[in-house]
Amino acid sequence: MRRVAVIGVGVTKFGRHDRTSTELFAEAAAEAIRDADVAPSAIQALYYGNVTGGEGERQLHMGPLAATLLGLPTIPTTRFENACATSHAAFRHAMMEIASGVSDVVLVGGAERVLNIPTDAATEYFAYCSDASLEQTVGLTFPGVFALIARAHMDKYGTTEEQMAHVAVKNHRHGVLNPKAQFQKEITLDTVLKSAYVADPLKLFDCCPFTDGGAALVLAAEHVARKKPRAVWALASQAASDTMFMHEKRDLSRVMATERAAAAAYRQAGKAPADVDVVELHDCFTIAEIVATEGLGFFEPGTGGVAAERGWTGLGGKIPVNPSGGLKAKGHPIGATGAAQIAEIVTQLRGEAGARQVEGARTGLTHTLGGNTATVLVSLFGRD
Amino acid sequence: MTLKRFFEEARAGRLTGIRCGKCGELAIPPKEFCTGCQDRNWTPVPLTGKGAVTSFTIIRIAPRGRAAEAPYAVAVVKLDEGVSLLGRIVDTPLDTLRTGLPVQFRAIVTGDQTAVGFSPA
Repeated sequence: MRRVAVIGVGVTKFGRHDRTSTELFAEAAAEAIRDADVAPSAIQALYYGNVTGGEGERQLHMGPLAATLLGLPTIPTTRFENACATSHAAFRHAMMEIASGVSDVVLVGGAERVLNIPTDAATEYFAYCSDASLEQTVGLTFPGVFALIARAHMDKYGTTEEQMAHVAVKNHRHGVLNPKAQFQKEITLDTVLKSAYVADPLKLFDCCPFTDGGAALVLAAEHVARKKPRAVWALASQAASDTMFMHEKRDLSRVMATERAAAAAYRQAGKAPADVDVVELHDCFTIAEIVATEGLGFFEPGTGGVAAERGWTGLGGKIPVNPSGGLKAKGHPIGATGAAQIAEIVTQLRGEAGARQVEGARTGLTHTLGGNTATVLVSLFGRD
Repeated sequence: MTLKRFFEEARAGRLTGIRCGKCGELAIPPKEFCTGCQDRNWTPVPLTGKGAVTSFTIIRIAPRGRAAEAPYAVAVVKLDEGVSLLGRIVDTPLDTLRTGLPVQFRAIVTGDQTAVGFSPA
């Protein structure tokens, strides 16, 4: 298999937009192509991610639409949908297209637009990522899924609502340093703890927001990347799944797909958790970050809450997690999130992250979780 | 056993599982291969519907069309037979919910739709 590098990244401002999701993607993609310093005609394929376009924008067949708006209407395209892990899944497949020798330069990313529809409609569409027969019929929501996980973690390990609140405070503190973030405002523990319950024990400030935004990456084969001094190698990309049904999860306090994808990714890259300098992981809810820091091997099972409380995951801590502000503060346009996380890690490993730079970062990890924890992707990145 | 059949039985108050003829694994239908032993020889089995809450949440922000139902409780319930199932917890004040609460299956029927529910045992 050939080595693959990320040679260009582009991300729109995250927040509310009055443009379609494919327009947002096209802007991010143009930025990524400029950043890669390749001709637009060098792009040989597009792997495109979007989740709710059919429902919220009455738009399917988005791959060729995105390519058309970008001005590259003839490249082959494929649309991916893997709930919130959509564009990370697209990334893995784009990487395989290059690794296998089919193409040398591939564009990958995604976009989402949901702030054009009412919150209850967006809540309904996101709930489509749970099973329609057994789970949507009882009114399970996304926050509900993670509330079930949070209570299991609290019961088993004594994790507290205050420890979860520390995750939100930390990610908002990081978000202040990211000009692309939806929220660039610090919050206090009190703000989180006094916010209204959305799905007990999760409160409003335990939850990431609804977000519009796009993100794109240009990937290239080694012979192209060698000419690009800012190229960052994709060392590994692994996907894992778990049962769709909450009732079949072996242990609600763990995300088994994270543990499996991480183990496979570390093996592929020849790395261990201790080798990782910077992490972008899926903090759709504060408890999700706590469980992910355990599943990725940074902390022992049950100690992720303590780690958050003691500041071990903040910039300057033992293992900086979500320097971008994470989904919580940067925002979570679900079709764009995986690509945006990778864009942040590439920016960090290039040493171009400015005020939120993790000094001397050489190895980075991205983790994206889909919906009800049934899909997880983990990728590792590094510089020579 | 199909989902349609599972819900027809549930609507009549009968909770039904499927048991693997080879390894004895108990599951909620539908499923083709047994996840444990890969065999494909299921037999429908009646379940008592008795169990206890493993984890629960109170949903206060509901999806479109369910605002009038909120707040409502959703729980993972481990049935006495060992298999678990997600359901709405009904017929009990929300502040009495706790992990370990004994519950009993009951169907929640709304027009054509049937959903899994549990009430305190």
